[in-house]
Amino acid sequence: MSSKQLTVQSQLDKFPSVLPKFIIGLLSFVVFYILTTITISFKGINERGILIAINAFKGLFNPSMKVITDLGQYGLLQMLFETLAIAFLGTVIGLVFAIPLAFLASRNMFPKWINNICLTLISIIRAFPSFMLGIMFVKSIGPGAFAGVLSMAIGSIGMLSKLIIEVIEDLNPGIAEALDAAGCSTFEKIRYGLIPQLSSNIISIVLYRLDINVKNATILGIVQAGGIGAQLMFAIGARRWSDAGAMLLGVIVMTVVLEYFSTKIRTRLAGQKG
Amino acid sequence: MIDDILHIFFPRTYTLGNGKVVKEKFNWAPYITIAVIIFSIFCAMATSVDIPRLIQRSDAFWDLIREMMPPNWSFWKDLQKPMIDTIVMSVLGTVVGCLVALPTSFYLSSNFELNNVYLVGHRGLLSLLRTLPTLVYAQLLSIVIGTGTLAGTVSIAIFTYTICVKMLYEQIETVDMGPYEALQSTGASRAKCMIKAIYPQIRGYFWSTVLYCFETNVRSAAILGYVGAGGIGVQINEQLTWRRYGNTGLMVLVLVITVVIIETISRELRKKLVQG
Repeated sequence: MSSKQLTVQSQLDKFPSVLPKFIIGLLSFVVFYILTTITISFKGINERGILIAINAFKGLFNPSMKVITDLGQYGLLQMLFETLAIAFLGTVIGLVFAIPLAFLASRNMFPKWINNICLTLISIIRAFPSFMLGIMFVKSIGPGAFAGVLSMAIGSIGMLSKLIIEVIEDLNPGIAEALDAAGCSTFEKIRYGLIPQLSSNIISIVLYRLDINVKNATILGIVQAGGIGAQLMFAIGARRWSDAGAMLLGVIVMTVVLEYFSTKIRTRLAGQKG
Repeated sequence: MIDDILHIFFPRTYTLGNGKVVKEKFNWAPYITIAVIIFSIFCAMATSVDIPRLIQRSDAFWDLIREMMPPNWSFWKDLQKPMIDTIVMSVLGTVVGCLVALPTSFYLSSNFELNNVYLVGHRGLLSLLRTLPTLVYAQLLSIVIGTGTLAGTVSIAIFTYTICVKMLYEQIETVDMGPYEALQSTGASRAKCMIKAIYPQIRGYFWSTVLYCFETNVRSAAILGYVGAGGIGVQINEQLTWRRYGNTGLMVLVLVITVVIIETISRELRKKLVQG
């Protein structure tokens, strides 16, 4: 009996000490505390803040029917459609530019120096903040949905082409060779050799980006680049809570519905491939 | 060639030597492509796309870049504080969000046989909250708790929480439950079993999720200043209003460099975490 207890004791002693982990935890806590003190100033919530919060809560859960049923320019449906249109068109234009760029940047398609130029271009586009693009387009071609479309298109190129490069580099070269041996024309080689290999992957990438773009289109409104964002921010800023509640409800419903369908289509595409 | 293109839409039928008729498989893809093109044109009309105006006004765009391009280096002194604010906001928001998300995600995974009503309710609420961008939270919070970096940090934390929980519980649902059951048979409590048997399996994934969230948050933290939630956005808004494009150019440059550095470091670390 006693020998068994000794084995348990010896196993327990072998277990690494928790002291270093504890010290690391404590140190990081101190570091975060210092970071908090230099950056964040909290003046405390005054009574007005609490009152505003209560009003906001009440308003957000009582969406104004006037905004929802209004079919005019500032009605919910039209604004939501504009947001969707910006995101959709931005994704499509982004895709049109991203596919050739991705082919140029793939190692199995073009020589190395062309790849490097294109990859640098892609990483610059990726790092450039998209709201800054929105601001620049608004300043140069005037506020409106068109500026939103352009900035969304350029913003999408980076991620789309980066993901498409991976798909292209995974292509099976054997299929093109086999079609060649069967005496197919170039058109037939692209139609039966290239497109079936790429299409399902590219469609799922595009749907994924469309999801992201619909969410980002709400942000673009803040720099007057169209969509529901501007009206939403005005409504919150002016404390028209029930209008804001209606718009938030619209954004949430639209995003959830889109996400549901895009996830469904993407799982089906993935199943088809496997 | 024209024949080939026509047969994209109308599948061919072949009659073989023995009189058997073979039909080509019908394909929806060309019809979907045409539908997408028509919808794009419709969207283009709705968003008033105007190519001649773009060409006409493209000079203004390049002028804007030219005005920004020799950045005003002397502005660097005023820039340090907001830049540090932006990074600290995203660091703190990410840490708080992820630390709260870690225990919650265990209780939201379906493989511990917990209360189903709670599970579906909490998950549903999170998927609704996930649809709103950080900016909306920042705008709401800056009114309720006052403008400043606190509103930004809290909104980043909320957003991080919503996406981190989802990524974590999806990962927890794929772990090996053997160690968990073994520990449970020794009589350890559920929380202890989770910490000792499940957490080591998702540790690498958890830290790589934290880094991923941090990357996303640094990008989105830059714009939060637009609604008064602190960080570099406040400065960008001001300098653009005063048309000081040299200063804006410097800010964009600093932002791009910061994002690239953080992305590179995080990518390397994540590679190591996935391997190790």
